[in-house]
Amino acid sequence: MLGERTLTQLGARALAVAREVGGIAILTGQVVRALVPPRLDGRELVRNLHRMGNRSLPIVALTAFFAGGLMVVQSAPFVNRLGATSLAGWAAGYAVLREIGPILIGLMFSGRVGANNTAELGTMTVTEQLDGLRALAIDPIRYLIVPRVLAMLIMLTALTILGDLIALAGAAVVAKLVIDIDWRTMYASFADNLTPTDFLHGVQKSVAFGAAIALSSCYFGVTVRGGAVGVGRAVNAAVVAAAVSIMLLDFFITYATA
Amino acid sequence: MTRPSLVERAARAVGRPALAAARATRDLWLVLVGVLAGVIRSYRPGGRRPPGALLEQLYVIGNRSLVFVAVTLGFIGMVMMYQACLQFSRAIGDLSQVGVQFLRLVVSDFGPTLTGMMLATRVGAGIAAEIGSMKVTEQLDALRMSGVLPIDYLLAPRFVASIVMTIALSLVGGAIMYGAGGLTAHLSFGVNPRTFFDPSLVLPRHLVLGLLKAACYGAAIPVVAGFCGLRARGSSEGVGWATTAAVVGSSFAVIAIDFALSVGALWLYGGEL
Amino acid sequence: MTRPYLAFVDVHKAFAGKPVLRGMDLTVAKGEILYIIGTSGVGKSVTIKHLVGFLAVDRGEIWFDGQRLDQLDERAFYPIRRRIGMVFQNATLFDAMTLAENVALPLRKHQRMRQKDALIDARRRLAQVYLADYADRYPAELSDGMRKRAAIARTLTLAPEVVLFDEPTTGLDPVNARRIDRLIRELSRDLGVTAIVVSHDVPSIMAVADRVAFLYQGRVHTVGTPAELAATADPIVAQFIAGRSSGPMETPGF
Repeated sequence: MLGERTLTQLGARALAVAREVGGIAILTGQVVRALVPPRLDGRELVRNLHRMGNRSLPIVALTAFFAGGLMVVQSAPFVNRLGATSLAGWAAGYAVLREIGPILIGLMFSGRVGANNTAELGTMTVTEQLDGLRALAIDPIRYLIVPRVLAMLIMLTALTILGDLIALAGAAVVAKLVIDIDWRTMYASFADNLTPTDFLHGVQKSVAFGAAIALSSCYFGVTVRGGAVGVGRAVNAAVVAAAVSIMLLDFFITYATA
Repeated sequence: MTRPSLVERAARAVGRPALAAARATRDLWLVLVGVLAGVIRSYRPGGRRPPGALLEQLYVIGNRSLVFVAVTLGFIGMVMMYQACLQFSRAIGDLSQVGVQFLRLVVSDFGPTLTGMMLATRVGAGIAAEIGSMKVTEQLDALRMSGVLPIDYLLAPRFVASIVMTIALSLVGGAIMYGAGGLTAHLSFGVNPRTFFDPSLVLPRHLVLGLLKAACYGAAIPVVAGFCGLRARGSSEGVGWATTAAVVGSSFAVIAIDFALSVGALWLYGGEL
Repeated sequence: MTRPYLAFVDVHKAFAGKPVLRGMDLTVAKGEILYIIGTSGVGKSVTIKHLVGFLAVDRGEIWFDGQRLDQLDERAFYPIRRRIGMVFQNATLFDAMTLAENVALPLRKHQRMRQKDALIDARRRLAQVYLADYADRYPAELSDGMRKRAAIARTLTLAPEVVLFDEPTTGLDPVNARRIDRLIRELSRDLGVTAIVVSHDVPSIMAVADRVAFLYQGRVHTVGTPAELAATADPIVAQFIAGRSSGPMETPGF
């Protein structure tokens, strides 16, 4: 019967998701345990911060710029209708700081850094380099995973803060070019209407997104099965899982901090 | 030879990536042209089409992404509405306009764009991974040797399916987003559903803009993802990089197209939209 | 009775219902070079993986220097892994690091050296295995023989008492294979390391082993010196040593 088959598929899918969530939770526990007290490889942390920042800065900057501009374009008709040009900054600004900034930058970061990380860890797992570490009595969690998780968390937060600023700048540029509102008005609009709470709300989200992206990308990397093809599948799964986590976390944080 | 001067080094630092970008853009354009040509070739009378490929792609792209799109757009709709109501109360104090404005935005922008972003992640990665691994395992060469152009065979059905499904999913996703928003506005801020569900501000050109955006995203994603897949080199590691590039590239393409079309529409209708 | 240095007692291990080790008993004396031999898939690598905690027994006991290994969890194995080192079959080096950095890593982690000092010590160790000129190359650029030697140098940084070699000469040309043999002999003689070597390379077995354990159908079929094995009357062992494709030996899968 058709319904029965769909239910079975849904059930299997639900079980698979539950297993993944459980696995990520276990990994999170291991990471937290290695952080209290902090015993991790400092060199690896610095190296990863470097790599991940370099890799994602250009795309994040570009995305942020366009996102800011987009918000201005979307709010333009409404602002024009009310004749409230002074509110243009408010409309674009709060959307960027609270939602669009963290989400878009998070998605880009996940695609660029998260996926790369999964591919790297996955290849290392498949070629037994992870076992090699264990055989040398080096804990892969402390040496490999924790530095990457921390680096991604720190990087995403930093990138979101920077990206927010770039997005606001982009908004100002587009406002000038497309609906002819000058910098001073925009700046005043930002300053008058946006509060530190708005900013912190977004930063808080980026910390959560960073943790989610980092943990899921590491999890899918180290649980790769099936050789080369498995790595590709893991990358795919990691990116999708990160996107879903970002949406869910966004929802919960928005409501929880209301 | 003397060490290159500062000017020379600066020029090289800018020039090299600029040239690489220019070359990549040209190659991307070639892929787009190739795919369009492939589609036309397959659909003109007497053209060959791999049997069932289009249907299969419609299923892979559409059905498999439905839940993902529905869930994510639903959540985002709720969040956006929550934030909007919060800000509206703070700045204006009157929530009667939220519904109408939101509908206009969902139809002309958020529906298609957010759907596009989600599909860029899911579908883009899938296409790049498929084509990438076919490339590194030399299956593409095998196809060529049996007289089939990979672009026709592989990308053309995905191209058509992606456009169709992105439009369809945008409509579904947009509806869910709007509905979820209305629910939030009603439950958390007491907005009357009748006030909220008011299509009075939505004009035909909003719908056209939204559908056009969806179509463009649907076209862009397989082209960008296919381009990245075709450039995969080496081994499975190369496939991994191709997949990453595809996700980032298609996501960015969605944003850039959104920006371009929105600015174009604004300009066309003189700031009124 | 004094306990043997290293002992497997009635060890059973199955994978997905298929039994591989069916009551394996084996003792290893301190300082000896023991070869574990047998056909592919008979369970040689499975045996040694138990000693570093990559596999757990279904039944049986494993003893090392008066301590039971079969009950330990992952974290308890870390001190054991400092005493029992393993050189993998694929000479698993970290491909994102140069040879020197590969060898320096355990030095940095376990002897708390700074990176600069660790690299100097690493180069010295690589020189001992005749790889001084390749210290700054990446593993992908080197031949299998060189990678194996680098992996051995890396494992030795832990100053282990026991070193496990998983098919060290498989896939190497005869010259490089003999070089590895020599290295293993020097290790045992000069550093007093106990070596357990999994192999099916008969010349290697004959040249290097103090004792040989022949694994067959999940048990240790015979144990003896190479000379004893060469002169054996047992038809199954004789078939393996002589390398005959047909005979009384059952090889599942053919």
